[in-house]
Amino acid sequence: MRNDAAYALAEPPVQNANDNAAVEIDAATPFADAERLAAGADEIAIRFEKFTDGRGFSLASMLRDRGFTGKLTARGDVLPDQAGLLRRAGFDKIASDIKPQSPRWRRRHFSHAYQPAAAGDEPAYLARARAARAALVEKLNHEYADASPEAIITAATRAFGGRIAMLSSFGTEAAAGLAVLARIAPEMPVLFLDTGMHFAQTLTYRDELVARLGLTNVIPLAPDKDELAAEDPEARLFEADTAACCDVRKVRPLARAMASFDALITGRKRYHGGEREDLPPFEFDGDVVKVNPFAALSAKEVAAIYRTLKLPAHPMAAMGYPSIGCWPCTAPAEGDGTREGRWAGQDRTECGIFDPRLKERAARTRSYRLI
Amino acid sequence: MKVITANRLADGRVVYRCKNGGWTETLTKAEQFTDDAGADAALAEAAFDHLTVVGPYLIDVEEQKPSGQKIVRERIRETGPSAGSLHTGLVEV
Amino acid sequence: MYRYDDIDATLVRERTAQFREQVGARLSGELTEDQFKPLRLQNGVYLQLHAYMLRVAIPYGVLSAAQLRKLAHVARTYDKGYGHFTTRQNIQYNWPSLVDVPDILDELAEVDMHAIQTSGNCIRNTTTDPFAGAAADEVVDPRPWCELIRQWSTFHPEFSFLPRKFKIAVTGSPADRAAIGVHDIGLQLVRNGEGEVGFAVFAGGGQGRTPMVAPEISSFVAQRDLLAYLTAILRVYNLAGRRDNLYKARIKILVNDLGADEFTGQVEGEFARLKGGALTLPQEEIDRVKAFFTDPPADDRPAVLHPSAAFSRWRLWNVKPHKVPGRAIVVISLKPYGGTAGDASAEQMDVVADLAEQFSLGEVRVTKEQNLVLPHVAEADLAELYAALEAAGLATANAGLASDIVCCPGLDYCNLANARSIPISQAISRAIEESGLEEAAGELTIKISGCINACGHHHVANIGLLGVDKKGEEFYQLTLGGIADGEAAIGKIVGKGLDPDHAVRAVITVIRAYLDARTEDESFVQTLSRIGFEPFKEAIYA
Repeated sequence: MRNDAAYALAEPPVQNANDNAAVEIDAATPFADAERLAAGADEIAIRFEKFTDGRGFSLASMLRDRGFTGKLTARGDVLPDQAGLLRRAGFDKIASDIKPQSPRWRRRHFSHAYQPAAAGDEPAYLARARAARAALVEKLNHEYADASPEAIITAATRAFGGRIAMLSSFGTEAAAGLAVLARIAPEMPVLFLDTGMHFAQTLTYRDELVARLGLTNVIPLAPDKDELAAEDPEARLFEADTAACCDVRKVRPLARAMASFDALITGRKRYHGGEREDLPPFEFDGDVVKVNPFAALSAKEVAAIYRTLKLPAHPMAAMGYPSIGCWPCTAPAEGDGTREGRWAGQDRTECGIFDPRLKERAARTRSYRLI
Repeated sequence: MKVITANRLADGRVVYRCKNGGWTETLTKAEQFTDDAGADAALAEAAFDHLTVVGPYLIDVEEQKPSGQKIVRERIRETGPSAGSLHTGLVEV
Repeated sequence: MYRYDDIDATLVRERTAQFREQVGARLSGELTEDQFKPLRLQNGVYLQLHAYMLRVAIPYGVLSAAQLRKLAHVARTYDKGYGHFTTRQNIQYNWPSLVDVPDILDELAEVDMHAIQTSGNCIRNTTTDPFAGAAADEVVDPRPWCELIRQWSTFHPEFSFLPRKFKIAVTGSPADRAAIGVHDIGLQLVRNGEGEVGFAVFAGGGQGRTPMVAPEISSFVAQRDLLAYLTAILRVYNLAGRRDNLYKARIKILVNDLGADEFTGQVEGEFARLKGGALTLPQEEIDRVKAFFTDPPADDRPAVLHPSAAFSRWRLWNVKPHKVPGRAIVVISLKPYGGTAGDASAEQMDVVADLAEQFSLGEVRVTKEQNLVLPHVAEADLAELYAALEAAGLATANAGLASDIVCCPGLDYCNLANARSIPISQAISRAIEESGLEEAAGELTIKISGCINACGHHHVANIGLLGVDKKGEEFYQLTLGGIADGEAAIGKIVGKGLDPDHAVRAVITVIRAYLDARTEDESFVQTLSRIGFEPFKEAIYA
C-alpha cells in the first residue's frame, strides 16, 4: 500500500527492478484499457519510452482517482527531475533506466502543492481555506458565545451565504429550530435524511411542518440505490450491524450532499447529554462548519418556543419517544431530550453523521473532497 | 567550403571549430573543409565536446563568409542582430 | 495586486534551487542536452542564435513598480541593458549566460518573480485584458481567476509534459482584449440567468501553422468548478492529443479531428467525475484572492488642460476610459517610429516604475501588443505624466494605430525564424509616419511574424505579414482581415510573397485603398468584407 509520508525516495530505485509480477502497460495505452487491466491487478507498471511522454502521469492519476490502490511503478526513461511529479501523480515506485545511482534521486521536492493529487497532497487553496475557516469559527464563537438562535443563524447566513443548509430529523424538537429558520431564511436548504426507515408519522409530520412554516427548499437525501443493492438488499442490515446501516443510509448520503455546502445548521443541544454537553455555537472539524444555534437552549426553552408559536408536536412525542430516528433503532425512553431510546441496548447514541472520521471515510468512497 | 559551428554551452555564444579541436568566436579562425568526408568526420568528433558546446553543425562558407541557403541566418549569427535596440536610436548605448 | 504568501514564496525558491542544480547537472554532464532542453525550457531558458534567452513570467501582465525596477536591474547587470516585452505579456532577455541564470532567478525571487513555465510543453502564462480592473466596460475582474489558474497550473503533476504548449486567456469584458478565440482555452466571465458569475469556455483555438478560432464548449461553468473543468479538458488533451507530429500536437488539432461535440462530450464525462471533489475551489480562497484586487479610489480633482496639439493627440489615442470617476488608463507605447517593437531599456523601465509610483498606485501592466500600461492614472495628473513620458522618449501617440506594430524577434534573434521581422517592422513604421495616414485610418492592427509559429500574431492582424525564406532570400506574405479580440477571425493570404521593399509599399497601399473605399466609421475589416479582396490585391500587385 502507498505510504505517502514515507515516500521520499530514500533509496535510489534499482534499475531493472525485479518486479515482473506487475502488469506492464505503455504510457500510450488508452485509459479504458489501462482501467480494465488495473481492475484485477495488485501492481501496475507504466513504461515511459520517452521522459517527455506525459500520458503516463495522467494514466496514473486517473487510475488512482478511480480507486486503484495497488502498487504503481514508473519504468523506463524517467528522470530524477520528475521524481516529485511521479510521486504526486500516484506512483510509489520508480524503476528508471537513467542513472539510478544519481544522488539527485534523493533531492527533496517541493514542500507545497497547488493541486490536489493522487498522492494525497493538500493543495494550497485547501490549506489556506481551512485556516481561514478555522479562524472565522474561532471569531464567531467568541462573538456569539451567548447569542440567541436568531442571532447565530443570521451570523452564519452572513458568513456562509449560499453555502449553508440546515439538517433536520423532523423529530420531536425539530419544529422549534425550523420555525426560527422560517422566520429568518425560509429559502435556506433544509436537508432531510430520507433513510427509507422512518416512522410513517415522521413523514406526515414533515409535510405538515413544511407547509405550515412556509419552508421552500426541503431536500430529501435518499441512500444510493447501487450501494443499497450491494450492502442492504433485503433492508435487514440493521439486524446485523446498525452502524453499517447508518453508514449507508445516513452518513454517506449526507457526505455526498455536503459537496455543495460548507456549513450545516444542526438542532443539537447540550442537554441531550453525552458528546453534546460542551457544544459550542460554531464547530469546525477541518471540513464543514457546524452551526449549533440551539446548543444553549434548555428543554424548557424549547417547549416555550412550541407554546409561543403554537407549533404542533411530533405525533409520537406523546407516546413516550423523546428522540425519534429510524423505526428499527428507536425506542421509548424516560426523560425530556434524552437520546437513551436511540440504539437502545447498544453502546452508541450517535448515528455517525457528526463524526468526522466516519464522514471522511464516506467522502472517500466517492472522491477526495476535503472541504 | 564548410565550417563547423555551434553555441557555447556556458553562455550560448556563437563559436566555430578550429583545427586543433578548440572553438573560436571568430569565423576566420575556423578550420575550413573542402571535402564532405573530412567535414563529417570532424563533426562526429565535435559531438564529443558536449560539455563545451551545444548542437554542432556544418555551414557553407565562401571567402570566409557564410554562404548558401542559410546565408541570412548564418550572417546574423556571425555579426549579431541586423537591427534592434542597439541600432535604432531607441536606446543610447 | 496579488502578493505571495509563504507557500508561493517557498515554491519559487525551491524551483530556483532545483534549476541551479539542473544547470549544474548539465555542466557536469549528468544531464545530456536532450534531457536538459525540456527542463530548461520549462524554466524559460531557450538557446537562440547568439545566446541563451531567458523569458521571465509576468503573470497576466501585472507588475509592481518594484518588480519593474528589478527587471531593469537584470537588464543592466546580466544583459545588454534592455529587455523585450512579448505578446504573452512576459519579458525576455536576449543575452544572459546559462551560468548566470540561477543568480538571475534568485534576484527575481526577491520580488516574487520567476521564469516558471514560460516555455516548454506545459501550461504557459495565463494572459488577460491589460486593462483588467480598470476598464470602463468590464463586467467582472478577470485577475483573481488568472491568479487561481496560475497556481493550479504551476508544477502540475499531470500536465507538465503535454503533447505541446498550452495557453489560456481570460477576459472579463465584452471587448475581450485578450484574444480568447485564438487560445487553447479561452475563458469569458459571464453572468447566467440567475445573475451568478461563471465562465463561458472556448477550446481549441490557436495560431501557428493551422490557425483556428475556438468553438464554445460550455456556455456556463460555475466559479467553484473552474479548476475541475480545466482539469477535465487537460486530461482529455494530455491522453489523446497527438504526439507523433509536432505540427499536429496542439489541442486545436484534437478538437478539430474529434469534432467539437465529441470533444465536449469527453470533457463533460471527466468533469462529471471531478465535479464536487477536491478540485472545488473553496469560497474562502476565492475571497482571499479577490481581496488583492480592489478598485482604486475615485479622484475628484479637476482635469488639467494642456494646450499642445501633441498632448491632445496622445490623449486621444493613448488614454482609455476607466471605471472609476476621475481616473484614466494610460498606454505607454513601446513603438517609437522606426524602433524595435516591445523593447525597453533599463533606464526606461526605471522611469516607468517611478511614474507608476507617482501616478498609478505603483502598478504597471504589459499588453499583448507589447506596450506598457499605467492602469490607474488620475485625469488631473495626465498632463504632468505626459511631460514626464515625453522627456523619457515614451510619449509616442500611436496606441492602437497602424504604427503600433506587433512584431516577434524574428531571424535577428530566434532559432526558429525563417526571416527577419524587426527591420521590416521598423521600415513599415517609418513609412507609416511619412505617409501621414495613420490618424485618418484610426485603429488598425499590423502584426509581423518571422515564421509560421506566429509569435507575432500575424494571423489575427488586420494586415499581417509572415516572413518566409526562399532560397536564402526573405519574402513576406501578406494576410488581410484578421481580428484578435472579440469576434476573432483569421486573416486570408492576399497573394504571392513580396520582397521587403514591396512589402513595405504594399502595407501603405492597403491603408490608402482602405481610406479611399471606406464609408464613415467603417473599420478596416468591415470595408474589406464589403468590397472584397480584389481591390486590395489589384493595388498591391499593380
